[in-house]
Amino acid sequence: MEHMMSKLSENILDKFSMDFLRNQVLKNAYGNDDTIIAALDPRILIAWYLFFGVIPWFVNDLPFLLGSFVLVMVTTLLARVAGLVLFLFALGVFSQTGYLFLATLLFGGNTSAIAPLLVLTLKVATISLASVTVFSGLDPDRLSNGLMWYGCPERLSFSISYAYRMLPMLMEEFQNVLLSYRLRGNPPAHDTLTGKVRYLIYQVKIIMESFYPLMLNTAKRSRTTVEALELRGYRYAAVNKSVKKLKLSALKVTDNDLLFLAISALWVALSILFSTLL
Amino acid sequence: MNAVEIDNLTYTYPGASQPTLNDISLQIAQGDFLAVVGNNGCGKSTLCKVLNGLIPHFITGTFRGAVRVGGLNTLESDVGVLAQKVGYVYQDFENQIVRPTVLDDASYSCLNYAFPDYLERGRAALAQCGLEGREEEYVWQLSGGQTHLLALAGAVSLSPDILILDEPIAQLDPMHADRIYDVLQTLNQQHGKTIIVIEHHTEYIADYCKHVLLMKDGRVQWLLPTGEALQRVEELESCNIFPPQVTQAAYRLRESGRLPANVPLPTTVNQGKTAFSSLVYHAPAVPDAPPAPPEDAAVSFRNVSLSYRSVKGEPRTVFSGLDLTIRQGERVALIGSNGAGKSTLMKMMVGLLRPQNGTVSLFGSPIGEKKAEDLSRQISLVYQNPEEMFIKDSIHADIAYAMQVRGLPDWQDRTHALLERFRLTPLQDRDGRLMSGGQMRRASLAIGVALEPGILLLDEPTANLDIATRREIMGVLEDMKDIIQTAVIATHDMQLVCQWADRIIVLRGGQVVADGSRDEIFSRQDLVDLVGIRPPEIFSMARELTPHALCYTVDDFTNCFLEA
Repeated sequence: MEHMMSKLSENILDKFSMDFLRNQVLKNAYGNDDTIIAALDPRILIAWYLFFGVIPWFVNDLPFLLGSFVLVMVTTLLARVAGLVLFLFALGVFSQTGYLFLATLLFGGNTSAIAPLLVLTLKVATISLASVTVFSGLDPDRLSNGLMWYGCPERLSFSISYAYRMLPMLMEEFQNVLLSYRLRGNPPAHDTLTGKVRYLIYQVKIIMESFYPLMLNTAKRSRTTVEALELRGYRYAAVNKSVKKLKLSALKVTDNDLLFLAISALWVALSILFSTLL
Repeated sequence: MNAVEIDNLTYTYPGASQPTLNDISLQIAQGDFLAVVGNNGCGKSTLCKVLNGLIPHFITGTFRGAVRVGGLNTLESDVGVLAQKVGYVYQDFENQIVRPTVLDDASYSCLNYAFPDYLERGRAALAQCGLEGREEEYVWQLSGGQTHLLALAGAVSLSPDILILDEPIAQLDPMHADRIYDVLQTLNQQHGKTIIVIEHHTEYIADYCKHVLLMKDGRVQWLLPTGEALQRVEELESCNIFPPQVTQAAYRLRESGRLPANVPLPTTVNQGKTAFSSLVYHAPAVPDAPPAPPEDAAVSFRNVSLSYRSVKGEPRTVFSGLDLTIRQGERVALIGSNGAGKSTLMKMMVGLLRPQNGTVSLFGSPIGEKKAEDLSRQISLVYQNPEEMFIKDSIHADIAYAMQVRGLPDWQDRTHALLERFRLTPLQDRDGRLMSGGQMRRASLAIGVALEPGILLLDEPTANLDIATRREIMGVLEDMKDIIQTAVIATHDMQLVCQWADRIIVLRGGQVVADGSRDEIFSRQDLVDLVGIRPPEIFSMARELTPHALCYTVDDFTNCFLEA
């Protein structure tokens, strides 16, 4: 039993290494570019998202909410979203509403609180999953092209794709700095409870101290990047209208996009019909 | 027509008291393949940034004189126009890649400058740089050499007349280095590009470059055809440039009267064949050393398997069923191409990576149960990038850190001793990141040995260093023998391997494909072909003359090749 526990805790620690985070970020951004969702036109998906990201807030009809929830769940599955994102989603939904239910029970409420909370949970879950589908199902470049078509400034769309380019680098740098602390530091023993608390404080302190070398190292690396961007015409593109046209000319609405919209619309219509029949 | 014309250029960085470039006048002919050589800090990189207009348009400062590139005055044109005349590949090339996929990055500049056929241009550039078929790959899937080719393709895509590369092969294994230079040669010969490289590997200069430009203290010393330039052994050595080993050997033989004084020195192995033809190999007398009793194991791997998570699909297996023992007192060189698993192997030894299967033991006890922090007194790792070892704001604090947090009673004295030993005392209050390459490397070594570990692991200790600093680091390694019993170096630097190691382990795709002394490794032609390792030039030279010769250094060569 004890062996299993130590195995488990090691496993969790292992799962939450920087390496794992970096991998999940990359996986989330680029690991699912061959899914049905990723192949859709980003403009269509953004429009789709505007519906499922906004409408559920204003509707309290249970069948409609359930229907929408099932639909976005399917699209999330189709988008093959990385595990970490789903975990954060679950955590987020719970922190939004789950605790309310527990609090209700604790302060003498009864199970009648479930129904209204369920509606709220469904709303939050639907909207979150719709966001997850769009923002992690599409790779950052397609997403930013879609946003640009809707008139978002070029700098915003560049920032999105560049952030995804930088993030793994930043995490790698962070990982290296943490490794240096691990190799040279001397953490307190942590077999007793107070030891464990002290160990935790030590870890937090190390993470805070890592910030200084992390920033300096990244700054040193990005000096080249800034010069290279200048040479590679980043500033010219930002003011040149024809560049934008070139970028957007790659976007194309296909039958699949229309089919996707049609199925979504049909599904929503069915759930509304069901609700009126009820 | 000249590709580059510089008249009386003097440039001073903002805030600097001395000009970095001092009264430079220079013409570089169209279609030249020019190597720029010189000491660290002599202004080589600054000169190249003048050519693409980053100076003075992006980096200001005091600029006097005129620079014309392809007929354009750089003062009157902006960086965008110049970028289409001059392509630039940085020394830290991975930081100039800004897009996630290969084709995206290669065509990025063309898109930005609004070429409607930007994708075709990107594809064409990739083909010219030997990256066909990789268009859809993600940039982090590429090896170091391929990433460099991609950075080059990004520059080539705008079809500039001039390409500038800052130390293109500093981080690459010999096979990838050859690829880069072959690509450059094709661009030069078939596409008529003018190529300018900042380079201190004179073997490559001798093989590929047409002219050499020597800079010293911000001034141009001379610009000469390669053959003639490399003859100037003393002058080059005074600037810390070391001519090819063949040339060095011939120079010494000429000084000692064994070669005639009026004949030009050879610069390549081919020329050496004629130049040294009058000499005869005399095998050195080898003292019969009794076989030493095998020492106890310092590190041992038993049936070790390890794989990395990948972004897509199956995890990538690096090692499977690895068995390896490193004994106490050994000086091991770990060689193999980029991505063969050298760094991974080292990270397992210090417990930073845990194998999925098998055990790694340190002095007989498995490290699976120990924590990395407890291991640090037994084993220490010096990273490839010294920056990553600097976690404090001064190198004094960095060196002291491990001893201080362990509460060693004499940590202050020991820190001072280390600073003194690595000649860092005058720099002790500076942030490590702001020091020169050689100083950073010394500081990282000092940090690595602070706890006096029994085993020291060094990942590419001589990468990115000029030859003089490299020699210095090798001296330091020699110097540390008394502290460090067992040492392992992962490196592409075969001169270092030959001079330092007593055991060589060759890795290829996570397998140990050879393991033995330098004689055993370098005399196996099949191995050289299989793994793409390259013995030092002087070794190949000796073999060309006498097939069974074993000369690893210039000294070996001059001692063994005597008049008939």
